[in-house]
Amino acid sequence: MDGEGELSPAESLALIEGQRAELRRRRGVRPELITFAWGLAYLLGFGGWYLALHGVVPAAVAGVVLGVLGAIALVLPIVLGVRASKGMRGPSRTAGAMYGAAWGLSFAANSVVQSALQAQLKPSWDVTSLMWASSSLAVAGLMYLAGGMLWRDVPQYVLGVWMLVSAAGSVLAGVPGNFLVLAFAGGGGMLVLSAYYTVRRRG
Amino acid sequence: MSEPWPELDPVIHAQARLRVMVALSTLASGDRLTFPRLQQLLDMTAGNLSTHLRKLEDAAYVEISKTHERRTPVTYVALTPAGRRAFEAYTEGLRALLGPRGEPP
Repeated sequence: MDGEGELSPAESLALIEGQRAELRRRRGVRPELITFAWGLAYLLGFGGWYLALHGVVPAAVAGVVLGVLGAIALVLPIVLGVRASKGMRGPSRTAGAMYGAAWGLSFAANSVVQSALQAQLKPSWDVTSLMWASSSLAVAGLMYLAGGMLWRDVPQYVLGVWMLVSAAGSVLAGVPGNFLVLAFAGGGGMLVLSAYYTVRRRG
Repeated sequence: MSEPWPELDPVIHAQARLRVMVALSTLASGDRLTFPRLQQLLDMTAGNLSTHLRKLEDAAYVEISKTHERRTPVTYVALTPAGRRAFEAYTEGLRALLGPRGEPP
């Protein structure tokens, strides 16, 4: 490529459109992968937990599935975020880093609140699981609301609203139905968004 | 070689520089890219990219800032406001030339 080749206006415009799309893709974080990883972790993790409560699968297996898928879903956005922001400085990177840190901060604070309440109230195992699962889902829902606002991404905001509804629904459902709400409403919602992002990326 | 297009900005209307302009135009206002990252995104050699960046800098379309981070020299590249305007004018110029039958926007 000599870089001085004469382009016709049509070639030039095609180059602009093609390159713009390619760069958006390469500089982005692949949201369809992140939502897929989380959707799968919720669906199989909490779905497995529900089955374990009914004695269909051993609790240890359900625990390992939830742990492993959860760990992948946790690490993936960090890896993708760091890779996408490589060699970039400025307000967008700062906002992205603040957003990433907000996940950690809000989950850490929620863990302290839940642990302290648990220590003081000494609730039953059922209530404990309701508290942890629903509050985690509510925090995740709020983070999706924030992400929707930050990147002006309405579908992501809709997912956040859906997660908040699911969080409330899971408590109202009670144990063990709450695990089904988490698996299908929580995980399902994320998988739907993942499918939407995949279609939008191709389209 | 096709005939020249006098209406189009000659600084931008060359494949390599156009690609640089497109890449930088996808950045939000205030964001900057390091030279190696831009080079990687465009898949250009350092020498080639430097040459074209210099021409764009001479036209005041890009701003190149050199700083040090942890004692390592880092070069950042971004469009200037004039560069962003020139790129928009160039794109509009293309659409005008192509007319209603041209490529869809």
